[in-house]
Amino acid sequence: MKFGGKRRLQKEQERTEKQQAQKKKNKKQITILVSVFAVLCVIIGIGALTENNPNNLPDSSAIVSSTSEVSTSEPSISATTPTEQGETAPLETTQAPSGQTQPPAGTTISSEDIPAYSGSGAYIAINNNVPYFTDTDYTTTAFENYSALDSLGRCGVAYANVCQEIMPTEERGSIGQVKPSGWHTVKYDCVDGKYLYNRCHLIGYQLSAENANTKNLITGTRYLNVDGMLPFENMVADYVKETNNHVLYRVTPVFDGNNLVATGVLMEALSVEDKGDGISFNVFCYNIQPGIIIDYATGDSELESDAVSESQAPVVTQEPEQTPSTQSSGQTYILNTNTHKFHYPSCSSVGQMSDANKQEYTGSRDDLIAQGYEPCKRCNP
Amino acid sequence: MILMACVDDNMGMLFNKRRQSQDKVLRAHILDITANSRLWMNYYSARQFEPDTEPQINIDENFLSKAAPGEFCFTEDVDVGVYEQQVEKIILFKWNRRYPGDLHFNINLSNWRLVESHDFVGSSHEKITEEVYVR
Repeated sequence: MKFGGKRRLQKEQERTEKQQAQKKKNKKQITILVSVFAVLCVIIGIGALTENNPNNLPDSSAIVSSTSEVSTSEPSISATTPTEQGETAPLETTQAPSGQTQPPAGTTISSEDIPAYSGSGAYIAINNNVPYFTDTDYTTTAFENYSALDSLGRCGVAYANVCQEIMPTEERGSIGQVKPSGWHTVKYDCVDGKYLYNRCHLIGYQLSAENANTKNLITGTRYLNVDGMLPFENMVADYVKETNNHVLYRVTPVFDGNNLVATGVLMEALSVEDKGDGISFNVFCYNIQPGIIIDYATGDSELESDAVSESQAPVVTQEPEQTPSTQSSGQTYILNTNTHKFHYPSCSSVGQMSDANKQEYTGSRDDLIAQGYEPCKRCNP
Repeated sequence: MILMACVDDNMGMLFNKRRQSQDKVLRAHILDITANSRLWMNYYSARQFEPDTEPQINIDENFLSKAAPGEFCFTEDVDVGVYEQQVEKIILFKWNRRYPGDLHFNINLSNWRLVESHDFVGSSHEKITEEVYVR
């Protein structure tokens, strides 16, 4: 072999070795890239699972001190938030057919996001009445999720996809054995139905068929139950019955600090099949009772008047019985036959009323409402 | 015009631009009442009917201005008070339930005379009360 040929051969060998080395290098790089990609996939996957894990729904007690600031911005969507006692309250699914898409992490709403009660009205629109659901929440799979009670025994977020499948087929059973956090059995003459507190379903029985589920019952005033929450439940129930559609429905009790009684509840609803065309609301219902002062830390209460006379003192009875009777004893009201509003005789609006429109009425509040009269927003009769 | 509207216990009609309630049986009843006449409504209300197969339905966004005497107007999302002078008769369907409301039926019925009232069972409502008022 000539030198030139030997040199060529050597070069070819060198080139081959170089190519092999390069191939090895490339392979190594590809392996590293694949590994990195795989690791990224795992991280993203875990992240997605974490985001969709209902266990990450914040505990209702992730609620801090109250302010009177009005905030209409969207509250942050957060991961697990420890309670002040350092515990978390995971959501528990009571009905989740296999293969269902779990609801996304819940919305953290604090009392800072809620306007202070203005003195009138049972509820206020939040975020311009637009619920915090997103397009990815839409599903036609039925589910009901209830948060575990926190260390103070308080309920957390309740979330359901309301549809005919989960609605009741029989009358509601007794729930009198449940004592939600802050529960007191106390009666006042000025409260419709006498009992100040009702066991308020977060997701109403008519929507979920949930009876004595402790994770779905809070201590709520009669006013919260009947004037605040019930009308919204009725609207959703009728819509589902008439259309056979689904409604995403989430109720978040808002507790201030370690209070045992909720300041109120955030109610969000969005119809699925028509993307909110039929049902869409986002409201906060206040857990107040006109004429009564409530200590939300304990559930204790007293009449609003400066001094509580013996005859006005609250009557604590042995056994409370649940929710709304629609009866109310003979109370005297002043009617405005022009505006169709009714007032307590002591209401300041009565003095401004024209005598021609003024009419005294003694009877039940419900009868007046049935006659088309509306309670005055100033005195809240 | 003959005004037809549905109201809750607080005379509410609408909340957050959405009807408070609806009922299949009531829709059929409205079509029966208006079968030989003209039934005006806007597009929002027409979506709960089948206007293609119901010849009496006339859809117009200004239906309360266009309806002639004796013709029916079904309204859900319109401030009716401003049209009171044109109304000859009111047919009110009461749901006998309470819903949230931010638009109310604002014709003062104390200026009208109730001449007929009866109840019927709806599809999702146990009792719907139909009331007829004239001047």
